[in-house]
Amino acid sequence: MKVLIIEDEPALRASIQEYLERQGYICELAADFPQAIDKVNEFDYDCIVADIGLPRGNGLDIVKELKLLESKAGIIIISAKDSLEDKLSGLELGADDYLTKPFHLSELNARVNAILRRKNFDGNTTVTFHEITIKPASKTVLVHNKSITLTGKEYQLLLYFIANQHRVVTKSALAGHLWGDEYDQAGSYDFIYTHIKNLRKKMLEAGGEDYIKTVYGTGYRFG
Amino acid sequence: MKLLTKTTLYFLLIMLPVFTAGAFYLYSKFNKEIKHETDEELVNDKLQWMRYLDTARVDNPIFHVSTPEFNLRPTENAAQTGHQLKSVDIYQEPENTYAPFRQLTQVIHVNNKNYELVLRKSVIEKDDLVNNIIHVMLAAFAGLLLFVLVSNWLISKSVWKPFYRSLGKIQKLQLNKLEAIVFERTTTHEFNQLNTALGNMTTRIHGDYTSMKELTEDAAHEMQTPLAIAQSKLELLLQDDTLSETQQNSILASYEELQRLSRLNHNLLLLAKIENQQYPVTAQPDLCTVVEKYLLLFEELIKEKELQIHKEMTATAPWPLHPALADILVSNLLGNAIKYNYTQGNITIRITTDTFTVSNSSHLPEIPANVLFQRFKKHNSNYTNSNGLGLAIIKKMADSYGFSVQYAYANGEHNFLVSHG
Repeated sequence: MKVLIIEDEPALRASIQEYLERQGYICELAADFPQAIDKVNEFDYDCIVADIGLPRGNGLDIVKELKLLESKAGIIIISAKDSLEDKLSGLELGADDYLTKPFHLSELNARVNAILRRKNFDGNTTVTFHEITIKPASKTVLVHNKSITLTGKEYQLLLYFIANQHRVVTKSALAGHLWGDEYDQAGSYDFIYTHIKNLRKKMLEAGGEDYIKTVYGTGYRFG
Repeated sequence: MKLLTKTTLYFLLIMLPVFTAGAFYLYSKFNKEIKHETDEELVNDKLQWMRYLDTARVDNPIFHVSTPEFNLRPTENAAQTGHQLKSVDIYQEPENTYAPFRQLTQVIHVNNKNYELVLRKSVIEKDDLVNNIIHVMLAAFAGLLLFVLVSNWLISKSVWKPFYRSLGKIQKLQLNKLEAIVFERTTTHEFNQLNTALGNMTTRIHGDYTSMKELTEDAAHEMQTPLAIAQSKLELLLQDDTLSETQQNSILASYEELQRLSRLNHNLLLLAKIENQQYPVTAQPDLCTVVEKYLLLFEELIKEKELQIHKEMTATAPWPLHPALADILVSNLLGNAIKYNYTQGNITIRITTDTFTVSNSSHLPEIPANVLFQRFKKHNSNYTNSNGLGLAIIKKMADSYGFSVQYAYANGEHNFLVSHG
C-alpha cells in the first residue's frame, strides 16, 4: 500500500511517515504544492494525506487535481484550521476524510486503514489477525471461525486495535475515536476500561488469545 | 443636565439681575422726570399766583386760604426770594390713605404783608408708573425667555446637529464593527476638529483591537502545528519498548498536558470566531435532537455516575443558532452538569420553544456571579480536565447572537437558563 504524505512541516511529516511505515505502508513525501502536484501526476497512490496550508498552494487544489486525474486514491485532509467550511468544501471536492491538527497518529492510521479497506476492495474484504477475522461489510467478528457478538463500541475498538496493532494506543486516543472530541466536556474516560474488559472477556470465551495488554497506566497495546 | 437646559438656565441667571437693574433705572428715571415736570408746573403756578396777588392789592385784604392744592396764610417770617420744593404725603380722607404730592413753599411779600405760599400737586401717577414698569418688564422678560427657549432650541437643532450625529454614532459603536464609522464634514470648525479627533481615535482603537484579535487567532493557529508535531513525537516515543515505566509515565503525562493545551487553544479560537460572528444562522437546529444526541454520547458517563435524568421537553424546539454552536451549547452545559455532579445525583433538562434549562445536583457551592462567566475561572480545582472556558464560550455566544444566560442556585441545585427571542 502506497501512501503520499503532503505536509510542509518536516518534523510532522517524519512522524507520520514513521508511524505509517511501522504499520506496513510505503510512504512517499511531498513538502510543498508543486512537489505534491508532480507526484500525484507521476505516480499512483492508494492513499494521500494532504495538509491544507501548503507553501505555494492550497491542499484543496490537490484534491481537485486528483479528481481531474480520476485518481482512485483515498484522500485525507489534515488542517490546522478547525474550519467547518474547509471541512465541507474538502469533502465536497471529493476528499474522504478530514482531520484537525493536532491529531493522534493512531487515529490518522486508523482512518487511512478504513479508507483503504473501503476503496480497494469496495468493502468486501476481511481483516484478519491470527485467529480473529472481521468482515466489515456485515460487521461480523469471527474467532476460530465462530461468530461472536460485540456491541458497536467494542467492534470499533477491535478494528482500531487491529489497525494499530503492536502500537501503544493511549486512552485519550481511544476515547477520541469512540466518542469524538466532545467527550472530554464531561470529564473522565475511565469507562473505556469497561469496554475493553468486556471485549477481552468475549474473545477469551470464544477461545481467542488475550491480545489486549495494558501498558502501565498509559494505554493499551494489541498483539 | 442637557445642553439646552443649561444654556437657558445660564441665560436666565444673567438676564434676571440685568432686568431688575433695568427696572430700577427706568423707575428712578421716570420718577425724576415726573418730579421735574411737576416742579415746573408748580413754579409756573407760583408765578401766576404772584402776578394775580399783585393785581389784587386794591381792596387791601388779608389773604388766608387753605386747600390741599393752594395754601396762603400770613406769616411773620421774612420774605424769601426763592422757593423750596419737596415731596410730602398728604392724608386723603375718602381713601383713608396718604397720597404723594410735590410741594412748593415760599414766603412772599404782598401789600406790605408777608405770606407763606404753599402750592401742591399730586403725583399719584407715580404708583401707576411703578406698576406699569413692573408689568412691562415682566412681559419683556417672559417674551425674552420664550425667545431664548425657542431660539436655543432652533440653534441647537441646527448648529448642534453634527455634534448629536457624531454622538449617536459613538453611542452605537461596537468594537468589532468599528471599521464602518465615518464622520462627515460639517460647517463648524470645532465639530470638524472633534470629528477628526474621534475618527483618529476610533481608527486607532480599531487597529489595536484588530491586531489584538488577529494576534489571538494567529497565535492559536500557529500553535496547532507545533502542538501536532510535539504530540506526534511523543506518541512515537511511547512506542519504544525499552522505556522504563517512569519514563513512559512522564511521556504520557506530557502527552496529556499537550492535549489539554490543544483543547485550550481550540476553545480560544472558538471564542474568537464566535466574537467575529463567523457562525452565521443558516438553519434552525432542533435543540431536543441535539440534547438526545449528547445524552447518547454521554451515556456511559451518566451510567457510571448513576445519574437520574429528568426531561421536560417540547416536541421540537428549533433555535436560530448555527448547528455547531447548538452542539457546543448543549455539550458544554450537559457536560458540566455531569462532570460536577455526584454519584446518584440528578440532572433536569427543560426545553420550551425559547428556553433551555439544565439543572443539576452538586456538592459544589454557589458560583459567585462576578466570576461566573470569566475566562479561566475554574470553580473547582479538583477537576483538572476543565479549562475554565466552557461557560465563557456560552456567554460569548449569548452576547454575540442575542440571547441570554442566567444562573441560579437553590437547594444544592445549579441551574442554567438559556433563552432567546
